[in-house]
Amino acid sequence: MVGLDEAIRTRRVIVCVGSGGVGKTTVAASVALKAALLGRRAVVCTIDPAKRLANALGLEELGNVEARVDDDRLRAAGLEPTGNGELWAMMLDLKRSWDEFVQRHLPPEKHETILNNRFYQTLSSALAGSQEYIALEKLYDLYDSGTYDLVVLDTPPTAQALDFLEAPNRVLDFLDNDAVRTFLGPAVAAGKVGLSLFRLGSSYVTKTISKLIGVETVQELASFLMEMQGMLGVSRDRAAKVKTLLGSDEAAFILVSSPNALTVDEAIYFFELLVKERMPVATVVANRVHLDPYRGEEPPTAPELAAMSVPFSPPEGLHERLANAVADARALAERDARHLARLIESVQPTPVIRIPRFDRDCHDIADLWKIDQHLFTGEPTAP
Amino acid sequence: MGTPSLLDRSLLINTGKGGVGKTTITAALALVAASRGKRVLVCELNTKERISTLLGAREVGAEVGPIAERIDGIVVRPAEAMREYALMKLKFRAIYHAVFENRIVSRFLRFVPSLPELVMLGKILFCVREARWDLVIVDAPATGHALTFLRIPQAIIDTVPPGNMRSDAEWMRDILVDPARTAVDIVSLPEEMPVNESLMLAQQMRDVLEMSIGHVFLNATRPPVFDAEDRRVLDAAQGSDGVDPRLAPALEAARAHTIRADLSIRYHDRLEQELGRPIVDLPLLFPKTKFGRADVERIAATMDAAVA
Repeated sequence: MVGLDEAIRTRRVIVCVGSGGVGKTTVAASVALKAALLGRRAVVCTIDPAKRLANALGLEELGNVEARVDDDRLRAAGLEPTGNGELWAMMLDLKRSWDEFVQRHLPPEKHETILNNRFYQTLSSALAGSQEYIALEKLYDLYDSGTYDLVVLDTPPTAQALDFLEAPNRVLDFLDNDAVRTFLGPAVAAGKVGLSLFRLGSSYVTKTISKLIGVETVQELASFLMEMQGMLGVSRDRAAKVKTLLGSDEAAFILVSSPNALTVDEAIYFFELLVKERMPVATVVANRVHLDPYRGEEPPTAPELAAMSVPFSPPEGLHERLANAVADARALAERDARHLARLIESVQPTPVIRIPRFDRDCHDIADLWKIDQHLFTGEPTAP
Repeated sequence: MGTPSLLDRSLLINTGKGGVGKTTITAALALVAASRGKRVLVCELNTKERISTLLGAREVGAEVGPIAERIDGIVVRPAEAMREYALMKLKFRAIYHAVFENRIVSRFLRFVPSLPELVMLGKILFCVREARWDLVIVDAPATGHALTFLRIPQAIIDTVPPGNMRSDAEWMRDILVDPARTAVDIVSLPEEMPVNESLMLAQQMRDVLEMSIGHVFLNATRPPVFDAEDRRVLDAAQGSDGVDPRLAPALEAARAHTIRADLSIRYHDRLEQELGRPIVDLPLLFPKTKFGRADVERIAATMDAAVA
């Protein structure tokens, strides 16, 4: 099993997964920052970063390409990359990535027809799994280019975290729909599209389906799927490569969660899925954890607080108010600990790293570095 | 005549950023409506069923079932919704079986873009049209997915040639955009990202979906506890040398509370200002045990006092 301290020095791909809203992007950016400081050329590929974090990384006006985070930005936070360390970042534009994918893998005369097809619009934006599919595609691109020592991927905000690993299969299923061949018969194989579309709608099955969703809809979808057949081979090949890469010792996963019932449930389920698929999980991160101000020790009572020396006279009742604030903070810490205990037990022996809840959202390099202090234990050393 | 209540509409759709507490708030809102005599149906969408459990009832699954007094629940799932839709359209069960239970056909249908979502939305809107309930409350997916979901009827009207699917999309769209019948409730937290998402959602509702906004709930707020005089003293104490070390963690807890309480006010004001409507604050609870019906009832009590 690979730990995070080792993964960041040796792996070439790190994927941050988890439910929406748990702070995947921040963790991904923190990991890439740390790798750069360790002397690696690292790129973080984010999907939908908070505006201020995007600004901190200099991402505001960039399209679908990587950009170097200037060393001056790191120095402003008191940090210095070692050796050949470089921090790069990109904001993934999912639609544009799909367009580029089509343009790269299909003959030019087909581009316009496909890009304008309304089913393509659905495929590239709304089909469940399409975002995950293209994010993995981009990950493989960055890895395969050999430009970077480490690629850190922040995954799309899925409705359910579980969609991520299933996603490529769903897209392939969509493209490889044997229904098309069944409906259109051998004419498809022979490339006689016009003829087969003319015949479509005459069979019992297609008549019934057409009654439900409209004959033109069926025709259009069928013709789109046929146009896309040319990409199927490439897609299948790439999906297999991505899967091999993710399961190899060049990759590691970070499963990000937060201490509430729902996200812990999802994290446990997701963990089991990763294990089943033999994906290497370096660590689980529990983000935004409330800490007990007295670290488990019995806190002072209100009268005890009143008796403590302060160099001035406090307002009436302040001690009760202070004791209440402590009690509330402890109640939150206990609630979080209850949920985390379940998470820790379910993923053992994989470590669970706790990141405390900070007073404000993370939005600059210094904040990312603060997270690194919790994620990594080892001393930074040049490779 | 008093202010018309949002609870007099027939459909409320709750959405917001993931993890803001939509499900709990949906359950609490159902309790409020039921306590005012409404017959309520609560819909969860293709997810692990949670509301029945929250209210201490048995799970209902994909068939409508009772979960509290005057409250029914259902989990709307694409497979069941599709089956119902197909049976309704095709009239004959035999045809349904012959065609739809064919493996290849069912795979094809699963991939007809938007069809699963359309039939789920259709199922909900059929319930709205039925006289069986006064109010249908939907625990919708998080913002981005909810927007896609609610836009589906219009997207179909814009792109699909006339036919069954399109005429269904038309009546669905008409219910969604009717301000007398339907509103979207926004759930937020006193934090930057959820509030930004709420504002984006409201703008999309107005400009793109043309749907009206209902309640705006700001969840997990913290009440101001320390006044200006308290704060002056606490700040001075935190910065001074002669302070008992056992006091320091308490001062830190007070400081953390103050920051959260200030954010509660700041984001309340920001939402109120930018949305131009009242914001319903719901306090953060500190349950000692597993969150359950009693906690939902506490939220419902706060809500009941605040909503018209």
